[in-house]
Amino acid sequence: MFESFLQTAFVHDIVTLAKPALFNLYFAFVSIPLGFPMAILFALGKGSSNKLVSLLSRAYIYAFRGSPLFIQFFMFYSIMLALNKTLWKPIGVDDFVLHPLFLGPLVLILNTCAYTAEIFHGALKSIPKGEVEAAQAMGMSRWNVFRSVTWPNMLRLAWPAYTNEVVFLFHATAIVYFTLPVINEQKDLMNKAGELFEKDYNIFLHFGVAGLYFLMISIVLFWLAGLVQKRLNKHITAAPSVSLKQKLLSVTHAFIR
Amino acid sequence: MPESVITWLSAWLGEDIGASLAYITNGKHLAWYASVRFTLIAAFGSAAFAVLFGLIGAALKQSTFLPFKWLGNIYTTMVRGVPDILFILFFPLAFEQSVEYLLARSRCDADVIAAATGWPPCEAAQWILSTGDYLLMACVSLGIVYGAFSANVIHGAMQAVPKGQLEAAAAYGFTPKQVFWRFKVRQMWVYALPGLSNVWILLLKATSFLSLLQIADIVQWAGRLGGANYIPRVGLVHPDWRWKYYLVLFVFFIILTMISERFFEALQARASRGMSLAEVGDDV
Repeated sequence: MFESFLQTAFVHDIVTLAKPALFNLYFAFVSIPLGFPMAILFALGKGSSNKLVSLLSRAYIYAFRGSPLFIQFFMFYSIMLALNKTLWKPIGVDDFVLHPLFLGPLVLILNTCAYTAEIFHGALKSIPKGEVEAAQAMGMSRWNVFRSVTWPNMLRLAWPAYTNEVVFLFHATAIVYFTLPVINEQKDLMNKAGELFEKDYNIFLHFGVAGLYFLMISIVLFWLAGLVQKRLNKHITAAPSVSLKQKLLSVTHAFIR
Repeated sequence: MPESVITWLSAWLGEDIGASLAYITNGKHLAWYASVRFTLIAAFGSAAFAVLFGLIGAALKQSTFLPFKWLGNIYTTMVRGVPDILFILFFPLAFEQSVEYLLARSRCDADVIAAATGWPPCEAAQWILSTGDYLLMACVSLGIVYGAFSANVIHGAMQAVPKGQLEAAAAYGFTPKQVFWRFKVRQMWVYALPGLSNVWILLLKATSFLSLLQIADIVQWAGRLGGANYIPRVGLVHPDWRWKYYLVLFVFFIILTMISERFFEALQARASRGMSLAEVGDDV
């Protein structure tokens, strides 16, 4: 019986879609670590007292959160193509710059940076003022205040929303190959599932298995983020009382892309 | 009328600007501008479905009957585990196939079905859809996905309605059903507005996927118009201008987001008149 199960179309799909899943993971895991430090800069920029820095950061964050990622992909790909003849070809980097494995993460980084910066900016605003003032009163330098008060508080406050952002970014990798060219067998889950669908028209099976991959990886991501969350809140013994506003914020901030 | 305006404007602005004006108002471009209607219809249509499914989902989540509760919870969590684009593509295709399967069973011979390799099994079972049909399917599909988001929002908002008000209503002799509809649902909107505004903006952005659902929307037109043209007979000869067109769409969606934000801010201010909701209204 087990033998026959191994030969079912379901198992066949799981095996076929294993490699495409790696492409989604690649896009997500290149973009997340690079988008993270950039987002901190933009979050600090948005809250900056320098008007120009603040305005530019605000505009960037607003533009990338206010437009579809789908359009952003099309836009950046076509801009890169337009620059090909005058810029990339002469330098000799055209193969690299126009490659979806480079361009995909690039757009995803720009996108996730804006969403993450907004989350961090919200967290920065709700850092207890007393703690920052106490640190300043102790004579700490600006860098030391950031390192020992602002940063750990920001990370702890932003973590639940950031967890969502990471998972939604992973989901966003599904549209990379709807907009960028597919090279040889470099296909992600959606693309491969679509290809399988065009062969035997079994949408329930192929999209189901692709969805299962996304679901499983999302669950693992949520679980890992939960472990970090526990560590970040280790020093907090009592469950923090959640105000109505925070509750609503968590409801609204859960949906970001 | 528009043509005389264009000739007048070109005489006034000079030849170069006149030529660009003529270019961006030619038939193809007018078709592009007209295709904005698909985006707007899909946005409003799916928003209506999203609120409807959201209410049903929230009601299911609060049900005391366990299978209903589970159903509601599965519905609202599915969008957290699987990308929206997968669902958006899945529902119309699955529905179309199911209909064609039923058509095949009534219209095709059994041996033809058994021998068929493609889909649909025989030509008579082919279900031909118009743009309107595709648009309706897109609305339902987007409505299901973003209904799950709004179900979460509405559920949270219903929890936020002060318990005292519901108890007072029950004490006055309103039945549980009346308490639900006349107090909980009526009071929750003001709490749900910030979240629903977020869902609306999400939905607006998701309308860019219409081109994947067989609709010649603004994205598809942008690709067509921007593609390089080397044949003078077809129109203006130009290299690959797609980046210009996508840049326009980029700005277009940002403007839509801005308008929506303003609208929801005004709505929020109006809805929370006379309520001490200062802590809900700001910066959400």
